[in-house]
Amino acid sequence: MRTLVFIPAWNEEASIAGVIADVRKSLPEADILVVDDGSADATSERAREAGVLVASLPFNQGLGAALQTGYLYALRNGYDACAHLDADGQHPAEEVARLLAEVTSDRADLVIGSRYHAGAVAATGDYRPTFSRRIGTSVFRFFLTLATRQRFTDTTSGMRAANRRVMALFSQHYSPDFAEIESLQLAVRQGLRVEEVPVRMLERAGGSSFLTPVRSAFFIFKGLVVLLVGQFRPRQAEPEQ
Amino acid sequence: MTSLLAATGEPGQVHLTSQTRIVAAVIAVFFMLLILDLIRRDRLQERYSVIWFVAGAGMLAGAAFPGLLELVADLMGVRDTNVALFSIVLLLLLGLALNFSVIMSRQAAQITRLAQERAIEQAKQQAEQPNGNGSGQQVLEPKEKRL
Repeated sequence: MRTLVFIPAWNEEASIAGVIADVRKSLPEADILVVDDGSADATSERAREAGVLVASLPFNQGLGAALQTGYLYALRNGYDACAHLDADGQHPAEEVARLLAEVTSDRADLVIGSRYHAGAVAATGDYRPTFSRRIGTSVFRFFLTLATRQRFTDTTSGMRAANRRVMALFSQHYSPDFAEIESLQLAVRQGLRVEEVPVRMLERAGGSSFLTPVRSAFFIFKGLVVLLVGQFRPRQAEPEQ
Repeated sequence: MTSLLAATGEPGQVHLTSQTRIVAAVIAVFFMLLILDLIRRDRLQERYSVIWFVAGAGMLAGAAFPGLLELVADLMGVRDTNVALFSIVLLLLLGLALNFSVIMSRQAAQITRLAQERAIEQAKQQAEQPNGNGSGQQVLEPKEKRL
């Protein structure tokens, strides 16, 4: 069972080495790939110094494109399972290991680490979402649940684990603008087994969230349009693996 | 284009003076020459030029045969020729703008895939370097050359 853990990173030179060390500790068997999304700082140098593979996009393409690069790499290089986590240190690697266990034991095709899932709340304590984030979260939760008829609590989680069926799908179709939400909708529509697992997340180690109230409103509006359009998207033929 | 519409007046009548017709025809000819020149200097691909040629030809035809405009307006059920002309041009431009958005989206997707392929190729080379074991966990020289 070969496993790839990839970390999309954009200007995360301060935290990337710590995240890599954390993944090494919790998942010593896994290969690690940092997808550098056109960082202007020394993110890719830090990652190479830490001795992991680096895939550098020549210019910033957005989180969706960076994640897709990871899925494509995993698919092309014959990995059986892959997982990704944020590069800012919010995601403890031991939690990623639990997601991967769900995939490798074939209980699900795609596993999402949820901050808000019942069970996570008790364990969390460290993670306090801002007001605008809470609104956005509940709006997306409602509409995604409506669209997929499956209950999702953490729609924008960037901590996921996946098997080859998901790699094949996401390396072909992955929204560059609205990666997290549209990908969940797509996976459910394709008949994949998507599962949420409660996880513990930490406060950001460095940097600040990109969400301001105005941006949040626009973000939510865009997300709803994407979801609506996604409902009318034709089902894709099962891609070759 | 406005010179084509210089005349205003009673609906159903074509009021282009010979002066405006000449100006419009000259503009149309220059427009088509410009397109030709852009193609000649590789600034415009042939496949994107056809529509502009059609537009230029339409302009020329409208200037040469003002009766055409009236005929089209009649077919559209519009009494004012000017309104008909405006509607046609507006719809044409709307269609063109949409067409460009579609082309732009396709090219954006192509550029993204190209960037991804390059990034993956780079990581693969890194994995295949002789000092590595191929598993991606090898330590590299700190000063890796960046592109």
